Amino acid sequence: MANSRSLRGAVAIVGVGQSPSGRVPGRSPLDLTAEATLNALTDAGMDKTEIDGVLTGNAYASSFHRFSIALSEYLNIQPSFSNTLQVSGATAGAAVNMAAAAIHGGLANTVVVACGDSLLTGMTPDRAIRAMSEGRDQQYEMPFGIPVANTFAMTAHRHMKEFGTTAEQMARVAVTFRDHARRTPGAQKTEPITIDDVLNSKMVTSPYHQLDCSLISDGAAALILTSAEKAKDFAKEPIYILGAGEHYTHEHIFLMPELTQTGAVQAARQAYKMAGVSANNIDIAGIYDCFTGTVLMMLEDLGFCAKGESGPFVEAGEISYGGCIPTNTHGGMLSYAHPGIPAAWFHFVEVVRQLRGNCGQRQVAEAELGLVHTLGAGFSTQATTVLGKASTL
Amino acid sequence: MSNKETALVKPLPIPDGDSEVFWKALKTNKLLLQNCIDCGHIQYYQQAICRLCQSKNLEHLQASGRGTIHSYSVVYRAPSAAFKEDVPYAVLLVDLEEGPRMISKLVGNMIDQLDFDKAVRLKVVQVSDDVYLPCFELDKE
Repeated sequence: MANSRSLRGAVAIVGVGQSPSGRVPGRSPLDLTAEATLNALTDAGMDKTEIDGVLTGNAYASSFHRFSIALSEYLNIQPSFSNTLQVSGATAGAAVNMAAAAIHGGLANTVVVACGDSLLTGMTPDRAIRAMSEGRDQQYEMPFGIPVANTFAMTAHRHMKEFGTTAEQMARVAVTFRDHARRTPGAQKTEPITIDDVLNSKMVTSPYHQLDCSLISDGAAALILTSAEKAKDFAKEPIYILGAGEHYTHEHIFLMPELTQTGAVQAARQAYKMAGVSANNIDIAGIYDCFTGTVLMMLEDLGFCAKGESGPFVEAGEISYGGCIPTNTHGGMLSYAHPGIPAAWFHFVEVVRQLRGNCGQRQVAEAELGLVHTLGAGFSTQATTVLGKASTL
Repeated sequence: MSNKETALVKPLPIPDGDSEVFWKALKTNKLLLQNCIDCGHIQYYQQAICRLCQSKNLEHLQASGRGTIHSYSVVYRAPSAAFKEDVPYAVLLVDLEEGPRMISKLVGNMIDQLDFDKAVRLKVVQVSDDVYLPCFELDKE
């Protein structure tokens, strides 16, 4: 039965674009985001006059609170639907889901969902790390000296205690994504690394070493969404939104219901239900990889393996080519780029390109159904999107 | 710009209408929880309403100060310049005897003796003229 309240197949991504990423000095966040947006328009074969909606995240290296409005002005677009969203790392997924809902609900016809920042060259490393921590509670958390990595580190540490997950298994995630980045043009880090390299890199906040942590980068990416009816008018094969789900469980890390199980369970359940699929139907995944252990917990909570079994799952090569669920084939935030909030936009760009089938030497064979899961703020915020080719409708 | 200056100052709580009593009590060595008179829920941190039943009928409850370590992480890379002289230090998630969990910091030079489920005891630490933080030390018993 058709459900008018479901997004399944109603909206498609018709354009993806990005700016150069990695170390990109002398470029403002707005400049980078505008370039990504124009590249996405070119990719879609679309003129900017088609755009009537603009959603973005915020940029730490920019003072604009209304980044979406500033971007519109920069591009000389006057949209009838716009917002600047902030749910930390989950902003990418939440923005895609919201754009799809806005199009489905008639608030806009064609929405650009973009984000860019210059964390690496627009700020000092200290400023960048501090900017990411400053959004946490200044009364009950920050006075204790908590880096942004710390909340994630405590969940990973507890996962080790409860399930026997090892530092080597977490390191395997970094090694796998580095191997993926080596196949991706424009990746920030491409020198091969070993598990020992990860374990021997400087400790940041236990159990996380430097190579367990995402990079700091500059860069921007943009996606263009439109209704399924209009999608056929543009240059590229439309990639459809099949399911969307989100879940927000806590603000303070000490009120996370369980340290080793997150709201990704509920977010994914809703997205799978809407899409009419389950985890074992998914061919390719983009999973927010701020830290190595984050990916392990998400593999469990998204249903790709059982609770507590992500360590052996990753060791068996299941998140790379030939495995159960090739993940972050561009290299992720651990090796491709991590410009802050925009980071997860690259996961969307990659999954769309994989589903279009034009990823060259890093193409996952016969990828038809994809998933992007983004999250943030110590697992507070969770957003899942299921994407598919026309063949999956 | 005062980026450099602000980076050297540790973030200190600025009490609000919800939390004023909490921070004041710490000056007399008391860690306050809230007990809901209507539903019996005990909560950390201070709010105007019970998180479980939304009742405003709350009373302060002094924590015993005893708890156990649910998880922890030893910080080697300081979150800002202000913490650089402190590393390495351990951030703790403490399960208080009364039920609530809170985030805190280990005092005393005992990082190598940390472990899950170990008993800890409240140790209030003065960090400025006006601010006292609820930290914990490993319980020696």
